[in-house]
Amino acid sequence: MEPIDSERITVRPFEPADADDYFSWASDDRVVRNLRRTPLTARDQALATIIDVCIPHPWRRSICVDGRSVGFVSVNPGSGDHRCRADISYALATDFWGRGVATAAVKLAVARVFGDLGEVLRLQAFVDVGNRASQRVLEKAGFQREGMLRKYTYLKGELKDLYLYSLLSADTGTNSN
Amino acid sequence: MEIPRPDPERESHAAAVSPADITLRPLSIDDVDDFMVWATDANVTRFCTWEPYKSRDEAVSFITNVAAPHPWFRAICLGDRPIGAVSVTRNSGGDRCRAGEMGYVLAHGHWGKGIATAAVKMAAAAVFRERPELERVEALVDVENVASLRVLEKAGFTREGTLRKYVVLKGKSRDMVMFSLLSTDLLPLRHQ
Repeated sequence: MEPIDSERITVRPFEPADADDYFSWASDDRVVRNLRRTPLTARDQALATIIDVCIPHPWRRSICVDGRSVGFVSVNPGSGDHRCRADISYALATDFWGRGVATAAVKLAVARVFGDLGEVLRLQAFVDVGNRASQRVLEKAGFQREGMLRKYTYLKGELKDLYLYSLLSADTGTNSN
Repeated sequence: MEIPRPDPERESHAAAVSPADITLRPLSIDDVDDFMVWATDANVTRFCTWEPYKSRDEAVSFITNVAAPHPWFRAICLGDRPIGAVSVTRNSGGDRCRAGEMGYVLAHGHWGKGIATAAVKMAAAAVFRERPELERVEALVDVENVASLRVLEKAGFTREGTLRKYVVLKGKSRDMVMFSLLSTDLLPLRHQ
């Protein structure tokens, strides 16, 4: 699989017009395998998810190649004493796996999200210990592995050991308190 | 075949034996004066999310409205007088089955005697016994809280990593060390 030229990769808010493209990757079991969500089964779910979830979300973006949605990157900030940290997650259509797209998208997200979410000092990502490809995305985007959390959560009925990665605003040189 | 010798560390986990006269029991309104001894002490609250208590009314309110209905809250007692507390949360949603977060406080005058370590060991064994679906007990400790880091290490928890700028404590972001104890960590070692 050939790498995709980074100029073709963008990150932008979702639009209702993305519904068909959204459905094509969000209905794929392989794409959502490591996420809590289950694959979509009907096209009208895609439009509903975009309108009800993606657009109102604190920070969710479509990963686009040539302007068309091929995945998402999502940053979910905590509240109260947890307001300094946010969880980042992402998924990508299988046609674009192994071509530098997720890495480029995470780098674009990191470059913007600390400015957009002013209280967030820490981005963190939980990755299955077996998901080597996703670990590499985070490492190339500058995240540090902090450790392995044993039997940390159930995901789709399985108890998971997860690596925890983090990136601080201070690591990026972003000037935010 | 040689019969395996008992491992004292594992024995103490399984039997919940404490080195001193330490017991765990629910906190009651009658304990308010003992509660105030540690709850008013800035040494004790330094790494807690809360500030020292200033009145018995606040203490009574806590005991009634927080400690009593809590999923798992116990006074740490020396000769049945409370000298601290240990608690384990129940995580909600998808995590309900697997994990609880442990916290503990101890009156400053009783630090350095192994009491917190004993109480943590007893609490972990008890909560795993009472909640068969519980897989993991975790604890987060400020990187600068050296005494508490040692309590968990001596209690047999695994240090999983340092989480940078993980929480805001009293207005400042803090690095926290994540520890865990699994229900399977308490099983006796089996020899081949």
